[in-house]
Amino acid sequence: MSQSNHSNYCLDKLIGFVGDDPEAIKNMVNLFLNTTPSLLNAIILSFKEGSSETLAKSAHTLKPTLDVFGIRDTYDLIRNIEQKAKRSELDETMDKQIKQLTTTLELVFQELKIDFQLS
Amino acid sequence: MDAFKIFIVEDDVFYGEMLRHYLALNPDNEVHLFKTGEECLKNLYRAPAMISLDYSLPDMSGLDVMRQIKKEHSDIPVVIVSGQEDISTAVALLREGAYDYFVKDDDVKERLWNVLKKIRENVQLRSEISYLKEEIGRKYEFRNVIKGNSPTIKQIFGLIEKSIKTNISVSITGETGTGKELVAKAIHYNSKRAKKPFVAINVSAVPRDLIESEMFGHEKGAFTGAVTRKIGKFEQASGGTIFLDEIGEMDLNMQAKLLRVIQERELTRVGGNELINIDVRLIVATNRNLADEVQKGNFREDLYYRLLGLPIELPPLRYRGNDIILLAKYFVDEFCKENKMKKLSITESAQQKLMGYHFPGNVRELRAIIELAAVLTDTEQIDESHISFNSADAAGNLLMEESSLAEYTRKIISYYLQKYNNNVLLVAKKLEIGKSTIYRMIKEKQI
Ligand SMILES: Nc1ncnc2c1ncn2[C@@H]1O[C@H](COP(=O)(O)OP(=O)(O)O)[C@@H](O)[C@H]1O
Ligand SMILES: [Mg+2]
Repeated sequence: MSQSNHSNYCLDKLIGFVGDDPEAIKNMVNLFLNTTPSLLNAIILSFKEGSSETLAKSAHTLKPTLDVFGIRDTYDLIRNIEQKAKRSELDETMDKQIKQLTTTLELVFQELKIDFQLS
Repeated sequence: MDAFKIFIVEDDVFYGEMLRHYLALNPDNEVHLFKTGEECLKNLYRAPAMISLDYSLPDMSGLDVMRQIKKEHSDIPVVIVSGQEDISTAVALLREGAYDYFVKDDDVKERLWNVLKKIRENVQLRSEISYLKEEIGRKYEFRNVIKGNSPTIKQIFGLIEKSIKTNISVSITGETGTGKELVAKAIHYNSKRAKKPFVAINVSAVPRDLIESEMFGHEKGAFTGAVTRKIGKFEQASGGTIFLDEIGEMDLNMQAKLLRVIQERELTRVGGNELINIDVRLIVATNRNLADEVQKGNFREDLYYRLLGLPIELPPLRYRGNDIILLAKYFVDEFCKENKMKKLSITESAQQKLMGYHFPGNVRELRAIIELAAVLTDTEQIDESHISFNSADAAGNLLMEESSLAEYTRKIISYYLQKYNNNVLLVAKKLEIGKSTIYRMIKEKQI
């Protein structure tokens, strides 16, 4: 596996789950790339619309996946977002947090696409 | 053991797929993934051995899903895997009967694995307990289970006595319903292997292309449809007894494989290459004359001698004299006990009627006749009017009356169908006619 050392992700947990099977890992990475952007969009959109319930739900769903991909700082971010959404605190800090999450995730998407030669 | 069925209920596509993949790494697991609570509930009839349930689902809450599961299947362990790290929810779920509760970012992997291991051990323990119960039920002496006073039956008791002292193979012959399986079980449950499983395969009931995997198992992916590893009957019977019923129906190709397994005392699962040692006692049964089949080239001679071991020949019921009455009385008593009915007696004339019949279906048929009679009578007696033989009469009296050839054909086919449990393929083979002929006659209600 060609994992560059500038990675913002770490696949140890994923490998722990699906085994050291390049084919399976690639499939899971593909699935991650196919499902995560829409969850991220849901978060961005529900924040804009001020629907804290949808926001909390989407963050909740995304959380374990980020954990599996070892994107540690995003994991703390998403947890924070979920907690605040539950309290309906859709404030400026959260706006910043969502932007930060988006930036990191987009970086990770790029890295994964390169490392796994997926387009 | 059959595949260990696991349900995963998880609406997050990625996480669900990952769990599915993880749990399917063990080829003994058969994993089903559902995205909603509804879907899971609809599939409960498949009897999963465990359910991994996400707490927040789109259609209903995990708690509601679990309550529904517990209502109908209180014994299925439900493990809640949740994104929620809320102690009060966890406590509530555990109180309602969740087997375990863990949060997705904990060490889900290890915890799930450990839980699975525990549940597996439990399942095994439970099947051992139910097995022990059954065994206690059978513990009584075989003479109390196999009824009969005739000289031939007494001779058979002597042979059973001999066979339980050693591991010798036993081959049992006799017409259908003469008690072949009963004798096989009696030998097993009175032998040193009694605490280990008795596993039966009816060779004629398993489709030809599945028999090998049924007997020896297969690896995951061995052929289309082999979605999980399957342990065959020989492995299941490990330490115990395997009973190959209707061995005469086995095709030559399979006979060669069986011979090799018996000789080498090891097998490989279909699609696998691991050699697995087997320790089973072999009991076979057939209603054919195997020596004739050897003559005709339908049965391998070397296998025949391997299997012959101690031969036990069960006589047809019609040659057992007064045992007919003894058995009839025994079946009435059993039936009345089971159904909490008053004791019934059998009148002299009913006994006469029974004694005059030829019982093509042997003891099995006698039992059916008696049970029907016990239901039919309105008094405390079974008399001749309650005894009816119409079921199998066609064969015995076939040639007594003059008929057209078409009528004979019809009767013969009916008789064979009845004798072989409506197994059209088998009957077609025995009579050397096309199966479509039989299907047509059934369709046209001629038989
Ligand atoms: N001698 C016997 N005493 C009591 N029950 C018998 C006896 N022989 C057969 N049966 C009963 O008759 C039925 C058919 O016996 P089974 O062993 O299945 O016959 P087979 O395998 O020869 O077709 C079973 O219900 C069995 O318990
Ligand atoms: Mg039988």
